[in-house]
This record gives sequence, structure tokens and C-alpha cells, in this order.
Amino acid sequence: MLAGFLVIAYSLPFAIGIYTENVFFDRQWLADLATVVLNGVMQGGVYAMFAVGLTMIFGVMRIINVAHGEMVMLGAYLSWMSFFWLGFDPLLAMVFTLPIAFGLGWMIQKFLLNAVVGGPELTPLLMTFGLGLAMIYAVEAVFTTDFKSIPYAPDSFQLTETIVVGKSRLISFVMALVISVGVFMFLKKHRIGKAIRATSQNADVAMVCGINIYGIYMVTSGISAALAVAGGVLVSIQFGFNPETGIIYTLQAFAIIVLGGRGHYIGAMIGGVMLAVMESLISFMLPNGTALVEIAAYGLMIFVLLIRPRGLMGPKTD
Amino acid sequence: MSTRDNWRNLGFLAGWVVLLLFVPPTFSIYIRSFFMFLMMYVILSLSWNIISGYTGYISFGHVVFYGIGTYATAILVVDYGWHWIMAVAASGLVGAIFAILIGYPVLRLKGPYFAIAMLGAAEGTRVIAINWVSLTHGADGIAYPNIENSFETYIAMLVLMVIAVIVAYWVGHSRFGIRLNAIREDEIAAESLGVNTTFYKMAALVLSAIFPAMAGGIQGYKTLYIEPESEFFILITIYMKLFAMFGGKGTVIGPVLGAFILYSVQEYTWIRFPTAHLITFGIFIILVARFMPRGLIGFAVDRGWARKGMVH
Amino acid sequence: MAETNEIALQVKDLKKHFGGIKAVDGCSFDLPKGKISGLIGPNGSGKTTIFNLMTGVLGADSGEVVYRGENIVNLRPYQVFNKGISRTFQITRIYREMTVFENMLSASSMRVPESEAREQAEKLMEFVTLTPLRGEYGGNLSYGQQKLLEFARALMTDPEIILLDEPAAGVNRTLLQNLLAHIHHLQEEEGKTILIIEHDMNVIMNHCEKIFVMDYGVKIAEGLPDEIQNNEYVIEAYFGHK
Ligand SMILES: Nc1ncnc2c1ncn2[C@@H]1O[C@H](COP(=O)(O)OP(=O)(O)OP(=O)(O)O)[C@@H](O)[C@H]1O
Ligand SMILES: [Mg+2]
Repeated sequence: MLAGFLVIAYSLPFAIGIYTENVFFDRQWLADLATVVLNGVMQGGVYAMFAVGLTMIFGVMRIINVAHGEMVMLGAYLSWMSFFWLGFDPLLAMVFTLPIAFGLGWMIQKFLLNAVVGGPELTPLLMTFGLGLAMIYAVEAVFTTDFKSIPYAPDSFQLTETIVVGKSRLISFVMALVISVGVFMFLKKHRIGKAIRATSQNADVAMVCGINIYGIYMVTSGISAALAVAGGVLVSIQFGFNPETGIIYTLQAFAIIVLGGRGHYIGAMIGGVMLAVMESLISFMLPNGTALVEIAAYGLMIFVLLIRPRGLMGPKTD
Repeated sequence: MSTRDNWRNLGFLAGWVVLLLFVPPTFSIYIRSFFMFLMMYVILSLSWNIISGYTGYISFGHVVFYGIGTYATAILVVDYGWHWIMAVAASGLVGAIFAILIGYPVLRLKGPYFAIAMLGAAEGTRVIAINWVSLTHGADGIAYPNIENSFETYIAMLVLMVIAVIVAYWVGHSRFGIRLNAIREDEIAAESLGVNTTFYKMAALVLSAIFPAMAGGIQGYKTLYIEPESEFFILITIYMKLFAMFGGKGTVIGPVLGAFILYSVQEYTWIRFPTAHLITFGIFIILVARFMPRGLIGFAVDRGWARKGMVH
Repeated sequence: MAETNEIALQVKDLKKHFGGIKAVDGCSFDLPKGKISGLIGPNGSGKTTIFNLMTGVLGADSGEVVYRGENIVNLRPYQVFNKGISRTFQITRIYREMTVFENMLSASSMRVPESEAREQAEKLMEFVTLTPLRGEYGGNLSYGQQKLLEFARALMTDPEIILLDEPAAGVNRTLLQNLLAHIHHLQEEEGKTILIIEHDMNVIMNHCEKIFVMDYGVKIAEGLPDEIQNNEYVIEAYFGHK
């Protein structure tokens, strides 16, 4: 069912492309297609990384943090500030932007969310919504709604004669991979990482086993915020952003975890790549496609929720 | 609720209508349009309350119905030469049909999934409104012929508000509303005890879509110019939600009260502190969700100032 | 009520598996009309699942539930309810942020006028002694009171068959005696068909005319209380091999 749907979904851009005569199937076009898909996969790595942050919070606390995209947006601004105000390389600046993000996530958890974990599920939803709103307009108060961007490694690599990859995109992809692998290793090997996984398996048992679950919640939120900010940094060196782009990231991250399966890390990685590839196909093949990429997230999300609510790899029951 | 209570409340409403009919129009156009927007937010909050307060399906994208309505009205008036009142009425129908179309998939989702699917629906519709240029004129928006219509639109909004209040009152005092409450409390139990939940949820969504669509239509005609970003502006959803939550979701008087108080507050503050007031609203949502989930009315109920429940 | 051997409802070879768990695995029984019957079995033997299948809360893998000559399996729960089969839940599902009265009214049929539904609600609240609490939130009731409310709510439409999932669990003795008196009243005076799931053997043996025993998703025995008490399969199911 899901497989059938995905086949249809991914052929749709081709169908529309053929219908609107944007698709040629000649050599040049095929090379362009390969470029587009490759770029999509790389972009997907970045998406996947910040979606993992969202899925972690969901896995551990059953909370959907709708301010996650705003945290990504904040990351982009942190990156911008370190570049223009302090003259740091945005990637290098992660040495201090990520700890800041971790602290922020920690405090949000401590002062806002710890009190409502395990309560009615709509309370944290509304609270994080309010938080996101406050973040958008706090950033807007300082930076206005103007689009900002960072001129970072604007040139590109010529992979083969015809396939080209933007340098900043390649760097972002590599960074995203490094960070994601780092987080996985932490979850697999480190004592706290194991405790996080134990808590997401079963919070009550974890508590009985002597794990301080509120501490775990705070660490989880911290890591999640750091992943979001890292995502923001990697977005900021490739695209323009303004305070209101956060909502798009939230929807993308949500679509990804729905696609991959809630609380499932590998699922989030696959979902991230799938969404980004879909977006690139849309922008490549549809007339005026770049304006329509947002549709990919909403479309995939709604249909997956309907056809297979647990996503690609999610557990059978909640 | 006894018949006597119904008559008393109707009298109360009539009193307000007389006040609103004769007082604000005598003042400046600014005062008139302030009250028009205030009434619009009463309509929007009451509508959001039907699906989210009574039925428990929290919508994060309710602006979509409002936006669809502004567009339907503007297209019918500007491109097809309809009379604006006819166009506003037709927008209600368009809103209802749209609610059925998106309700069919999204009402099968629960809790946060419904909320975010609605957010996606609203954002997606905005993107479509920007890009479907032949229908919506795209990002350029649609301009109405320039005329002074603040009095007609004020009266139209007042009439619509009266209808919305009466419908909300009926929902809040009938077995229909009780059944929506049952869905909110426990959908499986409701279904097992005779509530066709699919039908009732759809009915609630349609009711909560019609009025925003029509209110949007009137608002667009009054403003004389619409474009996607402002008609599908997420802040409008936030206002509906916040006003209803602050007053007390799942009640009739709550959203009215919430809209009255908070819209006035925002009108006062936003001219003076345009960004700060939005930050404050964000923080306010957090505080209301955390400490006052049942709003002012819930606060009154907890202290014994008002009776529990909506049917007595 | 005259002694009859009429059948109110037939369960025929019902099956429901959850992944590897065979919750109900080919279960059949005939529910006698106008009597109180009991459905017993060890924990996890599939009793609640049978109720869920009978009332449409779960879809069946195969099998039928025949009521008034019609297969009602896989109907939606509200359709089953509207045909006259009402139920309570093992873990109470009263509406917590609705008043007792609203809980009652929510289950009335939209086909009867509201005034009539209100009268019915008042009458039933009186019947289970909840009238003093009619304006209180359901969530504020004690567990036993919630059980009573759920029981009364299930009677709002005057159903023909009433399915009760562990009505005695968590209810104190006095309240329980009341509840049982109500159940007998329904059967004797109004000719209702009642099926009770219960672990309390006193309730089952003293109040049910017919008993069905389940184990691992199948019916292993049925009969009168004293037949069941001496049935070796039943003893084995409950106590293991001797
Ligand atoms: N929705 C479900 N998903 C998965 N497994 C289920 C589900 N419902 C029931 N089961 C399983 O089916 C089996 C039978 O469960 P059921 O609730 O019918 O037992 P029961 O006889 O009512 O037990 P008890 O006396 O403890 O209430 C159990 O193993 C249970 O875990
Ligand atoms: Mg059971």
C-alpha cells in the first residue's frame, strides 16, 4: 500500500513534467536529473539531521515540539551573527553555537516542558507553539523580516563532465553525516545515550532502574535543540532565511518523522532523504517548481498519515 | 437550560445587538472598523471552538477557511461581477465544501497529527494561492474597486456574528454539542454509545468552516485588497485559538469574552509595540496552556461562580 | 418471565488475532434471551476481545455475530448500539470533563425528543443513586460511582442486550449488591438479555443462569453454575494440571 503510494508520488513530478513539456529525456536532461537527485540526497542528510532531533523528543517524551523549526531558524541566525558580527566561519562557530543551543534546549525543558510530560498531549503542543511564536517575533524584533544569507563557498565541484554539486551543499552534507553519526554513537555507546534509549523504551521501567528521567528529558531536549541549530547553520550557508521560515522546517521535520516512523532514528534518516529528493524533483520538473517545493512536505505527510500512520519503520502500536 | 434561561440569554444578545447597531457607527471610521474586526474575531473564535473546543480536534490551520472565503468572495465579485452579499453567501458554501474535502482525510487523524495536518493544509493552500495565478491572480493579489463601504460591511459582520452566536449557542446547549463533547472526551466510548463519530466530526468541521469563510469574505471586501500572505496568515489562526482558549474553550461565552478582551488589548498594544506584542502573545499562549487550560470560564467554574457542564 | 429457550444472539466461530496472539480463536456460543449469562475465563483468555468484536469496536478476522437474523460483525459500533446492544467497559470510559447528567444525555437516541431523553436520564440517575451528583464532572466521581454511571449510561436507549465487562471490579460490597439488584430488576421486570464478564465467582455462580467459559480464545465449557463448578476442563484452565 505504502510502496504503491510512494511509486505514484514519485512519478507524479515526472508525469506533470511530461505533460507540461519540461521533461526531455535527452543526455543533457538526464545529467541534470542526476545532479538534481544527488543534490536532493545531500540536502536530505541535513533534513534528516534536524528531524532526528524532533524524533528524539517524541521518542523519549511523546511530545511533538512544534518550535523545532524555529530552533532551526534560530540556528541560521546564530550562524549569521557569528559570521557577520564576530567574523567566525559558521562551521567553526558551531563550537560555541551548539553548546548555546544545548543550554537553550535544556532550559526550555526544565522550565516549560518537564511539568507537562505525560499529561494531556495537546498541552505541550500548544506550549511549544507559543514558544515558537515568541521566538519568531523575538528574532524579528532584532533582524526584521528581511531575508538574510551568508556568502559561503558559492562555487561548485564538477563531479563528472555534466554533474555538478554546490560546494556548500557538499560541505553541509558531510557535516550532517558527521554530526548524525556522532549522535548515533553517543546513543549507542555512552552511558547517558543508553539511558535515553531506555527511557524511550519505557519511562516507568527506566525510573525504577534508577535513571533520573527528568535529567534525561533535559539532555534529550538539549541534544534536540543542538541538532536543530546545527541544521540551521547548515541551511544558512546554502539558502536565504528570515524569521518566518521556521514553520517550514517544522513541517518538513514533522513530515520526515511521519514518513520514517515516529521515534525511529534510521527511519528519520531515510525520510529526510526521501523528502529532499521529492522536493528537488518538484523544483526540477514542475513549471515554477521552486515555488511549489513546500507542497512536497504537506502532501507526503498527509498521505502517509492516512495510508500507514506508523510510517516506514515505526512500531505497530504507539 | 430552561426555556426561561434561553429567553434571558436571547434578550442579552438583543441588547448587545442594539448597542452595536447604534453606537459604533456614529463614531469615526476607525472606531467602526475596530468593532468590525472585533466582531470578526468573535466569529472566528466561536468557529474554531466548535471543532477544537467542543470536539477536541485542535486545529492549527483554521485560517485556511478564512482565506478560502476571502478569495471566493473576491474572485466572484471582481472577476465574475457578483453582488458582494451574494458572493459572501456563496463563500460560506465554498468553505463548507472545502471543509468536507479536507475533513475526509484529516479528521481520521488524532491529537497532534490532526493539528499539524491542518497547519500543513493551511500552508499548502497558501502556496497554491500564490501559484495558481489564473484563478487567484497569484502574489499580486486581488484589488476591489475602491469604494467607502465601512457601514455596509459593519452591518454585514454584525449580522453574521449574531448568526454565529446563535449557532454556537445552539451547539453549546444541545445534544448535538454534548455528542461533540463525548467525542472530545473519548472517541471510542462515544462511538460505542451511539455517536456516529465520522458524521459528527464532519458536521463540526463544516460548521466551524462556514463562518470564517463568510467573515473572511466580508473582511476582504472591506479591506478592498487581498493577497495570499495576509489572507492565509498564521497569526489569524493563532488569534482564534488564543482568544477561545483564554476565554474558555468548549463554552459559548468564553470565546466571545476572550475575543473582546484580547482583541482590544492587542489593538492597544500593537500600535505601540508591534513586535513585542506578538512575543507577548506567544508567551501568553504558553501560560494559558500550562496554567489555565480551561480559560476564564474554567477559572470561574473552579471557584463555583458558574455551573459545571453546558447542559443542565 | 416465562421460561423460554429463545436465543438473543449467536456468536459463530469468531476469530481475532493480534499479530501472533490468538486473542479469539474460533469461539461460538448462543446467548439465551431474557436471561443473565456469565462469561468467565483466566486473564487474557479473550473475553473483552469478544465484547469488542460483538460491538464493532474491533473488526473480526472471520466469523459471525448473528442478531435478529443479521450478521453484525464489522458494523460500526454506533450501528450495533443503535440496534439495541449496549455495553460497559472493563476500565471505565466515562467522559471525565462532562457532568454526570451530560454523560447520561450523550447516550440518548437522537430519535427520541430531548424532553423524553432528559426524563430517562433523571430516572436512571435516580435508579443508580447518582442524582445528588448530577452536576458533578464524571472525572470527580469515585471509581465505584463511575462504574454505576457507566452502567446507567448504557441503559439510556433501553437496549435489548446489555454487555457488562467486569461490573464488580473495584466496587464495594454495598454498591455491588445494589448493582446486582438493578441487574436482576432489568432481567426480571424488563426481560433484558444480559451478559456479564466477571472474575468474582460469587457474582457469577449466584446470579447467572448460564455460564460460558473461555480459555486461549476458545470456549471450553458452557452450562449451569453447578455444572461449571465441577467441570474438569474449567478447573484445569483455572488451576492448571492437578
Ligand atoms: N488491541 C489489542 N492489541 C494487541 N493485543 C491485544 C489487544 N487487545 C487484546 N489483546 C490481547 O489479546 C489477548 C486477550 O485479551 P482480552 O482483553 O480479550 O482478555 P480478557 O479475557 O478480557 O482478560 P482479562 O480478564 O484480564 O480482562 C491478550 O493476550 C491481550 O494482550
Ligand atoms: Mg477483559
